[in-house]
Amino acid sequence: MKILTIAAKELREYVLKPGSISWGIVFPLVFTLAFAVRFGDIDHLAPGLLSISILFGTSSFVSSSIIFERRLRTFERLLVAPVSYLEIATAKILVGTLFGIFVGVTSMLVLRLFMAYAIWNWILLLLFMTLSGLAFSALSLYVSLRVQNPINAMTWLNLIRLPMIFTSGAIVSLLLFPRWFLAVGLLTPMTYSVDGLRFSMLEYYDVVNPAYSGLVMIILTMIFLYLSIRSIKNLY
Amino acid sequence: MAAETIVAKNLSKRYGDFTAVNGISFKVKKGEIYGLLGPNGAGKTTTVRMLTTLTSITSGEAWINGYSVKEDRLMVKKSIGLVPDVSNLYDELTVEENLRFTAKLYGAPMENVEELIKEFNLPAKRKFGKLSSGFKRRVTIAAALVHEPEVLFMDEPTSNLDIRSAKAVRALVRALNLRGMTIFLTTHNMIDAELLPHRIAIMEQGKIVAEGRRGELKRLVGKGVIVRFSVEPVSSTLLKVLESYSPAFDEGRISVLVDDVDDFLDHLFELRKTLGFRVTYLSTELPSIEDVFMELTEESPCPCGGCPI
Repeated sequence: MKILTIAAKELREYVLKPGSISWGIVFPLVFTLAFAVRFGDIDHLAPGLLSISILFGTSSFVSSSIIFERRLRTFERLLVAPVSYLEIATAKILVGTLFGIFVGVTSMLVLRLFMAYAIWNWILLLLFMTLSGLAFSALSLYVSLRVQNPINAMTWLNLIRLPMIFTSGAIVSLLLFPRWFLAVGLLTPMTYSVDGLRFSMLEYYDVVNPAYSGLVMIILTMIFLYLSIRSIKNLY
Repeated sequence: MAAETIVAKNLSKRYGDFTAVNGISFKVKKGEIYGLLGPNGAGKTTTVRMLTTLTSITSGEAWINGYSVKEDRLMVKKSIGLVPDVSNLYDELTVEENLRFTAKLYGAPMENVEELIKEFNLPAKRKFGKLSSGFKRRVTIAAALVHEPEVLFMDEPTSNLDIRSAKAVRALVRALNLRGMTIFLTTHNMIDAELLPHRIAIMEQGKIVAEGRRGELKRLVGKGVIVRFSVEPVSSTLLKVLESYSPAFDEGRISVLVDDVDDFLDHLFELRKTLGFRVTYLSTELPSIEDVFMELTEESPCPCGGCPI
């Protein structure tokens, strides 16, 4: 119940913050639109663009929230209340995921206009969008809590997000690279999101079996949730 | 442990090589206003953060209402309210939404929110971010009270407030204390220190250098007593005689610092007989808390180590 209370507050307080709007909504939608208009038939690219939208949506929202809460010390309001670190972290991850799914769905509406084939499995697609959102939210929460100065959180996130676009096969398939680069791809959390989304949209995948992709994203969510809780303990 | 609401025993906080709080011990009785007074960087805020579970304790122990701050964090959190030195509520939420959010976190009844809005005369529907500093502080205090805590921690309660708002906050603190609430406050504001706490601890460089009631602290440093008086007429002969006391003149009153009040008054009344003046005003007072503070604490050097202040 407290998780929902915190999550509802997060949405009200941070949905219209500049970081959430510019990096979380405008950037992924413009990026998606640019590729869609440039390439026209974008069926193979669509899962990657969708994953990028979810990544930027979730991470921008979560980091905006942490930046403001650490700077204005509203985070301490949660810490001094009878609420566990697990509840605080879970609430932030959930609301980030929700925001990411919203950005993803908006991006999907744009992509559908340019796709030749129908979506293979909508339910599976929603499941992989949710799993991607959870994993990306948890990763962003951990990064935003780890940086010394919260103002730098967005910069650090970009250092992770932007290379991931390249190393995950979101734009260029990992199968087109030398074999050693595959190892880099498999170390990139976004790879599992892209391949899972690709399977649910187009009924095929590039590198990782979708069952493994789902499992890896659940494990990543748990790992980053655990690390985030440890970071909160270390910070205060 | 029951008679004391807050107990700290050899409480320390270290950040690497730097010791912010160095083995302090104190007890705060139920229903007392206890003030921690000290210059910036003395360790006051760190002490509050340790007592309110916001910062871990490096060594030592503390209890609030009999609950260990180290072991029973949840029970400690339920029994305390914290008003930090900055008003840290959510800008985009209205006053009422902020209070309701806090009430939900603590599982407090929503009727408390309505009562606090009425009692504190708060603009319920206005966004917190749009309020003045004074109102923000009032809402922050209200938010700390929404779950009816037994102990209220206030870190620099009047900092960054104008005179009128600061006065209103002081009145609020006294009113809360009259209801039986134990209040632990930190301040470097001498007016707060002079007017609010029943007992004061003076902190410097992580240590408590003096503790006691205001009078006790004043007697610690003040051998002298300030005698203030007015006479009519003021003759040049009188002024010449008073020169040895290095008098100060302020709004028609003469102030002198003397070691023995009786001796001085005997001398003054002898002069009255010989010079024939009338004493129209006479008062004596101990040194202020500011005097005590200045005497017991050292001026902090500039952190740069090289500038000429």
